[in-house]
Amino acid sequence: MTLRFDRRQFLMGSSALAAAIAAGVNPAWAQNALRLIFWGGQARADRTNGVIDLFEGAGNPGVESEFLSWNDYWPKLATQVAGGTAPDVIQMDYRFIVEYATRNAIAPLDDLVGDVLKLDDFDADQLEGGKVDGKLYGISLGANSVAMLVNKTAFEEAGIAVPDMSWTYETLKEIGEGFKAANIRGGMRGMSDGSGSEPMLDNWIRQRGKPLYTPEGKLGPSVEDMVEWFTMWNEMRDAGYITDAETTALDTGAPEVSMVALNKAAMIPSNSNQLVIHQSINPDVLTINSYPRIAPGVGGGHYRKPSMFFSVAGSSADKAAAAAFINFCITDPEAGKVLGVERGIPCSAAVRDAIAPTLDEQSQIALNFVANLGDLLGPLPSSPPNAAGEIDTSLLRVLSQEVAFGGRSAQDAGEFFVFEAEAILDRAAS
Amino acid sequence: MAVRGMEAASQGVATGNSIWSRAWQNHAPGYLFLLPWFIGFFGLTVGPIITSFYLSFTDFDLLTPAEWVGVDNYVRMFTNDRSFAASMRVTFFFVLFSVPLKLAFALGVAVLLNRGMKGLPLYRALFYLPSLLGASVAIAILWRQIFAADGLVNDVLAIFGIQGPSWISNPNYSLWTLIILSIWQFGSPMIIFLAGLRQIPQDMYEAASLDGASKWRQFVKITLPLLTPVVFFNAIIQTIEAFKSFTPAFIISGGTGAPINSTLFYTLYLYNEAFSFFRMGYASALAWFLLVLIACFTAFSFLTSKYWVHYDD
Repeated sequence: MTLRFDRRQFLMGSSALAAAIAAGVNPAWAQNALRLIFWGGQARADRTNGVIDLFEGAGNPGVESEFLSWNDYWPKLATQVAGGTAPDVIQMDYRFIVEYATRNAIAPLDDLVGDVLKLDDFDADQLEGGKVDGKLYGISLGANSVAMLVNKTAFEEAGIAVPDMSWTYETLKEIGEGFKAANIRGGMRGMSDGSGSEPMLDNWIRQRGKPLYTPEGKLGPSVEDMVEWFTMWNEMRDAGYITDAETTALDTGAPEVSMVALNKAAMIPSNSNQLVIHQSINPDVLTINSYPRIAPGVGGGHYRKPSMFFSVAGSSADKAAAAAFINFCITDPEAGKVLGVERGIPCSAAVRDAIAPTLDEQSQIALNFVANLGDLLGPLPSSPPNAAGEIDTSLLRVLSQEVAFGGRSAQDAGEFFVFEAEAILDRAAS
Repeated sequence: MAVRGMEAASQGVATGNSIWSRAWQNHAPGYLFLLPWFIGFFGLTVGPIITSFYLSFTDFDLLTPAEWVGVDNYVRMFTNDRSFAASMRVTFFFVLFSVPLKLAFALGVAVLLNRGMKGLPLYRALFYLPSLLGASVAIAILWRQIFAADGLVNDVLAIFGIQGPSWISNPNYSLWTLIILSIWQFGSPMIIFLAGLRQIPQDMYEAASLDGASKWRQFVKITLPLLTPVVFFNAIIQTIEAFKSFTPAFIISGGTGAPINSTLFYTLYLYNEAFSFFRMGYASALAWFLLVLIACFTAFSFLTSKYWVHYDD
């Protein structure tokens, strides 16, 4: 007996094949809706979907959204861009906007300004922050600033006054001494170890009149600066003002394992818009303050950074429709009320006025903080070079731990940081 | 299918038709049914493997087209990359300790379970459970609870008056917590050992005990030699698994290999190069080097196996 290739077998085989192909391949032709991708958690997704409902309810085309965590977001986005299937509207970060813009992965929006994008009352510095080589590639979704997250309840428990924005690194040491003496919650420290925090280093070096990265993409701090940086934190660690090496290493990045969430420290470096997320997982009352000054009266370390942008993909079939959605997010007062300050302080003055009465306490604190930085506020630095992320994660944080665990002296770490960071920058530039 | 194929071939010869066309006629439906698998195999496995070999000679960041750089990636790996060296040290240390310890533990439990106790299927399932859990976020949290400064391990040590460190966040011990995690997931080699133990004829043990051999002597002289093919199989599989180990370190260290690169597994470093720093070309080269490394280890195991693996003739 031989097997025959009859019609029924053929039908079964081919329909199984068709089913397999259909299951594996996204029917792109079936989609007319705009696609949106962003990073964030469930709270941000809920707010974003609320705005999408409003947008669709106003008779606009549908928007399909997708969100991922920060770490998963960039591989996925880069893969989609490489595959030519990038979503129409892309949430973009200040760190990556130059890279995406120079490779035409995102489109310049200048032609749509005025017509589709209404930016008349948009903050000038936030608009500027979305420009690359003079062209507008990203619309800021909100301004934020670095901020010290403060556990107010813990300060009250220890009987220590919560510092105001005039505080300095000397004040920080006094607070550290106070917490050490109070010995609350099993030895809570005044602050976490900030030596591996890139934003803290950036803020500190700016107060010394240097950028972390020059506009040409070179490293700002010298060996002497870095040795002093590591020495300063060493002294505070040895004195017991900040968390020790083993405790600090428990923090692997998520808000749930931060030194404040774990009750190991009363303060951690953070961002103004993150007060909301930290408060949502902490039973204590939290607030924010500025980063410490290097000396009384010295300012200029902070800046109002576009916390994130919406950009339009270079490959988008309908850039005007994508821009219309972005415009809705940033100018519609009702959309503003739904979004709140979760992505930062809205950049349109009208939206800010409209939402101010509707904000909860933490959001009010964040809004007031960013609006009233005063002499702490300096100019927006140029967007960091491509390799900045690598210098942060694989150099600064590792060195900070090596010094904390005693594997390297501050002198050694300072020299090594500058040498290695310059090598990484060179490699990325070549 | 094979028998039919031979029949068909002989018929083809008998009737004078081309063997190939007969074979095609006979097997076409089969191949058609296999087509989805072929598409998967060539499109999702062979294709990407070949592409990654090409990419390993390029500079490729996903956003701009790949640029040919020759063997630069491979040269850099061995001459100018501290993290590569660090990740090699971590990975070799992990393989060297986790594989023998895990196998010894799995064998020990298998021998205990093989003594004809009641409720064996239940125990077997229970011991296999950790392997099923794999490396999940829940395990990562559990491990932190156990090995943190105020964790379970130190609570036990405190009874004896010992103040333990924060095992999981101390670079001297963090890798050991991952080795223990790997040993804890001993289920699959245990099941295979158990099957191997069942194959050993009982009369050998009876003869040995008649001759007055102790239990330990029976284990060393009968069980171990007859089990060597299973040990060999498990050792190869577990070594490959250990080289490829990724998820535990990724989840427990938050993807960074912290503290101080002490848990920077080779695969974790590879992942970061590819998906954190977007150096796809370099990451491809790393992947190919890992493949060669595993191949060498496996070949070495096979070459030495004739000196210690006893096959039942």
